[in-house]
Amino acid sequence: MAITTTIRLRREGLIFPEQKTVEPILKTEGLWKLYRAGKVEVPALRGVNFEVLPGESVAVMGPSGCGKSTLLYIIGGLAQATRGRVLVDGNDLTELNDSARTKLRRHKIGFVFQRFNLLPTLTAKGNIAIAQFLHGDGFDPHRFEVVTRMLGLEGRLRHKPSELSGGEQQRVAIARAIINEPKILLADEPTGNLDSKNSETVLQMLRQLNKDLGQTVVMITHNPETVTYFDRVVHMRDGVIVDGIPAD
Amino acid sequence: MMGELIARNLLHRPLRTLIGVIAVAVEVALVVLIVGLTSGLLTETAKRIEGIGADIMLQPPAASVFLGFSGSPMPSKIGGKLHQLKYVQAVTPALLQFNSGGGIEVIYGIDPRSFREVSGGFVFLQGHDMEGPNDLLVDDWAAKAKNFKVGQTYTLLNHDWRVAGIVEHGKGSRLFVPLETLQELVGARDKASIFLVKCTRPDHTGDVTDEIRSALPGYTVRPLKDFLSLMTSTNIPGLETFIHAMISLAIAIGLLVIFLTMYTTVIERTRDIGVLKSLGANQGFIVRALLTESAAMCVVGIGAGIGLSYAARAAFLAGFPTISILITPGWMLRAAGIALFGAILGASYPAWLAGRKDPVEALSYD
Repeated sequence: MAITTTIRLRREGLIFPEQKTVEPILKTEGLWKLYRAGKVEVPALRGVNFEVLPGESVAVMGPSGCGKSTLLYIIGGLAQATRGRVLVDGNDLTELNDSARTKLRRHKIGFVFQRFNLLPTLTAKGNIAIAQFLHGDGFDPHRFEVVTRMLGLEGRLRHKPSELSGGEQQRVAIARAIINEPKILLADEPTGNLDSKNSETVLQMLRQLNKDLGQTVVMITHNPETVTYFDRVVHMRDGVIVDGIPAD
Repeated sequence: MMGELIARNLLHRPLRTLIGVIAVAVEVALVVLIVGLTSGLLTETAKRIEGIGADIMLQPPAASVFLGFSGSPMPSKIGGKLHQLKYVQAVTPALLQFNSGGGIEVIYGIDPRSFREVSGGFVFLQGHDMEGPNDLLVDDWAAKAKNFKVGQTYTLLNHDWRVAGIVEHGKGSRLFVPLETLQELVGARDKASIFLVKCTRPDHTGDVTDEIRSALPGYTVRPLKDFLSLMTSTNIPGLETFIHAMISLAIAIGLLVIFLTMYTTVIERTRDIGVLKSLGANQGFIVRALLTESAAMCVVGIGAGIGLSYAARAAFLAGFPTISILITPGWMLRAAGIALFGAILGASYPAWLAGRKDPVEALSYD
């Protein structure tokens, strides 16, 4: 609650000196990512410095190919930076090996993707439960019930992804991402494949997760209408962050 | 959860799973049947030799334990020498002729009187003993296989025989003809392939064996109680190699099909692998999931393969009643082990590839 208050105060320009000491949960310093295309190195990120405070919700906007998704994958530990540092809840990802990054991802990060990325062979219940299984604490029926009720999935749990609408699939994906209560939720254009009604539902859910559960949310988007749901908007262009302005 | 994931993955592509299961089943059935056919034939032959009731068998020097493969270089008069030895109750010569016309069989040319003394005589189910030079005795298995009737004429070795009697199986061969007629037919007058010796008491077998070895140095003398242990595939030149080659072929079929099945599985599930990695699945989990999936498919295939083996044996025996196929728990276990090893090996490379997939590339796979 204190963190949420801090962020609200910060948005309103009323930050008290003692609250400036809150450490960012996500931080990148001089982050570079180069992709090799034949003999040519193409920079996707060019010295990105980026911070997100605990409990903050941030929308990262920019045109296609500006490096938004690359940034998300690097701070989520799915890809490695070429240069620079990435700190996630105090852990420097650039110093962790693949196994340690995987473990950190398992316990601290939840992903939501544009294409839902549900496992097609499993039911909605299986898709959510597998995240609990991988987390290592086994199936927690109480937590499962709370999350599925919150996302309105109770009646759809026995259905496979192919039997669900896009909005339902994305809600299952969100349930899967938050079932283990990760500190950080990373969403890569989660409304990109949804109609406006379902987009609004998903965005409201992300805001609810952020406000009610204090979950840090970073969302990639290119839709300006979606950013009103977030504390802060970061604009990217050509692999760099060009500003950081309050959404309202 | 892992079990559910594997089961649902296997059921997601039923045709592909079925192909994998069939490949393993064929692999298991091939191994079980090839070994079963070989050991069945050898064991059944050995039991028939033992069933004659003799204590000792004499063969020419360096003769094979597989009697049909031996020639007939021993003079018949050796029988007289053997008869004079202490503790020898009866001796009978037999000329063995390998015949592949109308099925593989070894025809025994016997002297009915002395054969009766050594073996205690045939148990006649129909007809009577040999009375004329062209009389043929068949055992009940051969009679069933070829629909022999007493009194009918049967051409064998370009010679017309009259079926004189049908006897109970288990006395060396399935077909018996008079010794002298067979000697004439194959140009081995006064020759015999083996001599069967009956001792006055079974305890004297060792003494008589030693005596024969002294009297006929270089000849092969075998106590028949040890005969079963000698009838193994390792004693037939090339048979062991043939069996190994066939087993290797069966393994190769299973391994390649599993490899291709799992390889296509991994390609098809590239995005799913990326999703699992994004959820925190490590390389070990991905590899374990795929290997377990392959093993699960293999276990079903093993069950089907054992069932197929029994079905194939039943079909073989219906068509060829004289064939013996010995399906043993030991070889079923070995075939299962071989199949499981092949399945794990075949899935190893695809699983390793899956475990090493870059999650970002995997997530963007179409």
